[in-house]
Order: sequence, then structure tokens, then C-alpha cells
Amino acid sequence: MAEIHFDGVGKIYPGGTRAITDVSFEIHDGEFVVLVGPSGCGKSTLLRMVAGLEEITEGEIRIGDRVVNDVPPKDRDIAMVFQNYALYPHMTVYDNMAFGLKLRKFSKDEIERRVQEAARVLEITEYLQRKPKALSGGQRQRVAMGRAIVREPSAFLMDEPLSNLDAKLRVQMRSELGLLHARLKTTTMYVTHDQVEAMTLGDRVAVIRKGVLQQVDAPQELYKNPANLFVAGFIGSPAMNFIGGSVSGGHFDYGAGKLPVTRDIAAGSGRVVAGIRPEHFFVPEGELHPDQGMEAEVGLVEQLGSDALVHFEIDVAPVLTPDIRELLEDAGEDASSLGEKTKMVARVDPLAAPRPGDRMVLGVESDKMHFFSEDTGEVI
Amino acid sequence: MISRRSVTLRHIGLWIGIFFALYPVVWIISASVNPVDNLAASRLIPEGLTLDNYRGLFDDPLVPFRDWLINSWKISLAGAIGNLALAALAAYSFSRLRFRGRRAGLLGLLLVQVFPQFLGFIAIFFTLQAIGEVAPGFGLDTHAGLLLVYLGGAIGFNTYLIKGFMDTVPISLDEAAKVDGASPALIFWRVILPLTRPVLGVIFIITFVGLYGELLLASVLLRSAENFTLAMGLQQFSLSEYAAKWGALSAAAILGSAPIVATFLVAQKQIVGGLTQGGVKG
Repeated sequence: MAEIHFDGVGKIYPGGTRAITDVSFEIHDGEFVVLVGPSGCGKSTLLRMVAGLEEITEGEIRIGDRVVNDVPPKDRDIAMVFQNYALYPHMTVYDNMAFGLKLRKFSKDEIERRVQEAARVLEITEYLQRKPKALSGGQRQRVAMGRAIVREPSAFLMDEPLSNLDAKLRVQMRSELGLLHARLKTTTMYVTHDQVEAMTLGDRVAVIRKGVLQQVDAPQELYKNPANLFVAGFIGSPAMNFIGGSVSGGHFDYGAGKLPVTRDIAAGSGRVVAGIRPEHFFVPEGELHPDQGMEAEVGLVEQLGSDALVHFEIDVAPVLTPDIRELLEDAGEDASSLGEKTKMVARVDPLAAPRPGDRMVLGVESDKMHFFSEDTGEVI
Repeated sequence: MISRRSVTLRHIGLWIGIFFALYPVVWIISASVNPVDNLAASRLIPEGLTLDNYRGLFDDPLVPFRDWLINSWKISLAGAIGNLALAALAAYSFSRLRFRGRRAGLLGLLLVQVFPQFLGFIAIFFTLQAIGEVAPGFGLDTHAGLLLVYLGGAIGFNTYLIKGFMDTVPISLDEAAKVDGASPALIFWRVILPLTRPVLGVIFIITFVGLYGELLLASVLLRSAENFTLAMGLQQFSLSEYAAKWGALSAAAILGSAPIVATFLVAQKQIVGGLTQGGVKG
């Protein structure tokens, strides 16, 4: 068991490319921290720096009290689970799990005890004599976990361990991982680009963008109080809706209408971006004054059973800050194809959901709106 | 549906092919057990059966056939093992380590392969002669000297082949082993080498067979009859009065080639597997 400290950690590759910039935070003893961010943001690099597979070019990383910058991976007392499992194909499941223990000169009895115990916990006892190629994806995943568990390291490092599984299995393994951590209470650093995984697994979640740490917080805190526009847009599914405008006289004016601003926001803030979570829209029961909602042109309506997702457009050009562009890119969309209207999504009561093609005023819980500076993306 | 006639035609073609391939083999086998020991009188179906030709090879005090066999085995085995060891180590470095001159080294290896080895015969000859003056054990007319030359010879090509195979082994296996506590040497032994076994098997066999039949270098570097390899010995055979002893020559050829044939038969599966396995990651 140990904490992991990051102190001004940076990484510059030999070619001069910068991957990580000045990352400082700490993972507490026994904590499950998830690093999340778009692909290529440096989250895996940061994990591999802890593992000792990438050189630390700036700052220092401490595991426990020890600075590990120059400590080889095998002496860092960590175990890693790889995205492609990295099981040794020529060894049986048993040997895969025992390999690290054998290299560390554990006694035969101790190896046997630990492997059997881990196999029992992971329910892979019956596969111990099989080779990895005779296992399914989920079983391989368990073996990879087993290989980490038997070492009883002071920290687990997991690099997108569930990304190779199909959707159903991923959900199942996700909850098993959660249970496993509750049981072992080993410090865990977990990398994923799947924000649902991040939110459900992490005691705290660290959002990384272009090698810079944006915010580290408990999932709910991250969701409720994002530090900036990027975090706000990255966390949550469907994503937060953004709309550009300005604040004056207790109102947010977005061009096609106004919304009341209940919080104290300086009138001189200039251009701002308002963020509204999908669930903070509602379908009004009676007629609603336009200043209490948004004039919406309803497009697609997705019935999910528990609630309905209403896709709608409002008559304002979409706001495009660098953060929003990056979020769009990560979602696989092209900023240039957005058109003249702002597309939004609302999550509403399925019974009250409008029909496609409706024009209506959708209510907004305006006290739950977020405001960000259009220049810096920081929360106001 | 293929007509009966075309099947028959195909079969005839097949049998002609088989006949062409097997005729010389059967002929040699037949000659080696034929009591009539000359070319003119020999026939495909011998008039009797005798093992005298085989026995004679080992009894003739003038012809150290047994030595040649042993020499060939010794040199080919040591050469193949040594070659494999060097090529595998070199391939591991080129595949996994990043060092200055890596690219140049790879290109250099390839480039050297382009030139046929006998371009260097004179240089090799004088080099060995010079080495012999300092370390007589590795000079001209020594097996150790010949081995040195053999070891250098095929490394380039083999290194390339093994490197290509090693490149298909995911680097995350190395990393997993590293985190598990393995040193680079251990990663090579315990992870990479077992996974490259198919291609190593192929290269071992190909190298072994190649060295077993190698004649040119051996005849430049070896002098005394007792140091000869089998290939050299057989060639001497055909130039000497043995040329007339057709039966003995046939027996020698069969004894010489038997191990190769046996190796191929035993390792057939591995060879085919090794040559194709690199292509797809399992």
C-alpha cells in the first residue's frame, strides 16, 4: 500500500514533442483514481511513467516515500494490467500468474498459495492449465488481473484494461473491478477514455487534456462543478450543451432569447459560454414565458424507457471555442459541418416528450446553468 | 464435374512427374546395393542384394569416410547452433533496442548479403592464414577456422528473418515481463525466444542443411584428407579411382544424404509452420 505523488511531472520525447506538462497531484493510499481524457492526451504516458516504462524528464514521481524517477520498473513494487492483456502466449494461465513471483524467488508453496487464491477470487481456477489462446476475452482479462493481484504490489496500474471487451462484458467486468478494489483496497491508477468507466469506478477522476491536468475531483464534484469548459463538456453523456452569449441585468442573452441568471455574475464578463446539462431541461406543463425557456425546433426523439433524449435546434449560430472544437473532434464530429443552428440535447420525462417536428419552448432550470469565459474556458 | 477422361489425363501427368523425381533416387539406391560395381553393368533392378558397398566405405584404410561423416556433422551442427545463437541475439537487439547506428546496421547487414560470398574467398583465405600465425587452432585447415567463416556467412540473412518475426511479438509482452521483474536477458530467454521458436527451428534446419552440403569454402580452407567434410570427400571420390566404383559412390551419397532427408521428414510441419506463422499474429 502506498500513495503516489506527482510533483511537477513533465515528459518531453527525444524529438522535442511535449507529452505531459507540469502535472502535480497525489493518489492517496488505497484510492482508485481514474485518468480520463481524449485519445492522445497523455494519460497513458503518465501511467507508463509511473510504471517505469517511460522516462520522467521533468519533476518527480514518488511511490510511498521513495522517489522512483530512476528506479527500474521491477523495483517499483507496482503491477500493471495492459490494454491487450500482454499474457505470455507460450505459458499456461498458472505460469502467467506465477512468472513474476518466480522471478522474485518466492517459494513454490507460496507461489502455489497465491496463484490459487487469486484464481479463486477471479473464478479462473478451472482454466489454470490452459494457454491464453484457449480463453475468451473476458477470461484473458481476468488472467491479466490475476497476474497483477498475485504480486500483492503497493499499487495497480491499469491501462484501458476493458477497452478490448465487448460492451456487455465491459459493464460486467467494470463492476467486478469495482468489487475487487473494494476488497483489496490497493492503490489503483486507472487509465480510460470512457468517461462512464471513469465516473463509475473512480474515487476520484483526473481529467487530462493535451498533457495538462485539468481537474482532479470526486466524480459527482466533477460533474456538478467542472473547473472549465473542457471538463464540463467531456464529463457527462449526453454531453453538456453549450451556447454563447453575454450576461447583463440579471439575464443571459444568447441572441435568440434570454434566460434569467440567478447567480452573481459580473455584468462586465464580456462574452461567455453557458453550459446546460441535458437533464436540466424540462417540458413545461402549461405555456411558458420565452424568458424561462428556449424556443426549440424538435428533431429526433430517442425513447430510452426511463427517460427520453430530445434532440433540438435553436436559432443561434453554434459557439466554437478551441475547447469545444477539441471536444467535437474527440466525439468524431467536424466543427465545420455544424451548420447555422446550435444543436442541443435534452433529457426529459418520457411521457411528456414532444414529437419530432414540434416547435415549442423547453424549460431550463436556469439556476443550474454553468458559465465559462469564452476566452479562457475557465468557469465564472 | 470433372470428366473421367480428364482425371485419367491428370493422373498420367502426375505419374510422369513422380517418375522423373524418383527415378534417380531409386537408381542410386539400387546401385548402392548392387553387387556389380560399375556403371556400365548396373541396372535399375539389381541382380542381387549386398551391403558390401556400405561396408567397404568404412573398411577402406585409404578413405577416411567415417571421419568425413563425423566432420560434417560436427561442423554443421556447431555452425547451425552458433549461427542461430548469434542471429537471434542480433535480431533481438535490432528488434527491441534503440541505439545509435541501428538503421545503418540493418542496412549494412542487408547490403553485405547482396554480394556473393566467393567474392571474398581470397580475403578470407589470407585472413585465416594470418589468424593461424597467431592462433594456430583457428587457422587454415582447421575446423574452428572454417566454423568462424561459416558463422559470419549467414548471420545477415538469418538476423533479418528472425527480426521480422520478433517484430510481430507485441512489445507489451516485454513491458509486462519488465514490470514482472525480468531483465532484458531474461526477457529474451523466457519470453521472446520461446515465441520465436518456429522460425528458429526453420533457420536451424536450413542452416544445418546448407552447411552440410557446403563445398566451395570448405575446399578452399581445408587441406588434409582427414579434415575433409563429407561434401569434399564425395567430390574427391568422383575425381579418384572411386569414380569407377559406382556402387561405393552411391552408398556414400545415400549415407551422406540420409540425415538431411530424415531431418526434413521429422521437421516438415515445423518448417511450413515457421515460414508462414510470421505473417499472422495468433
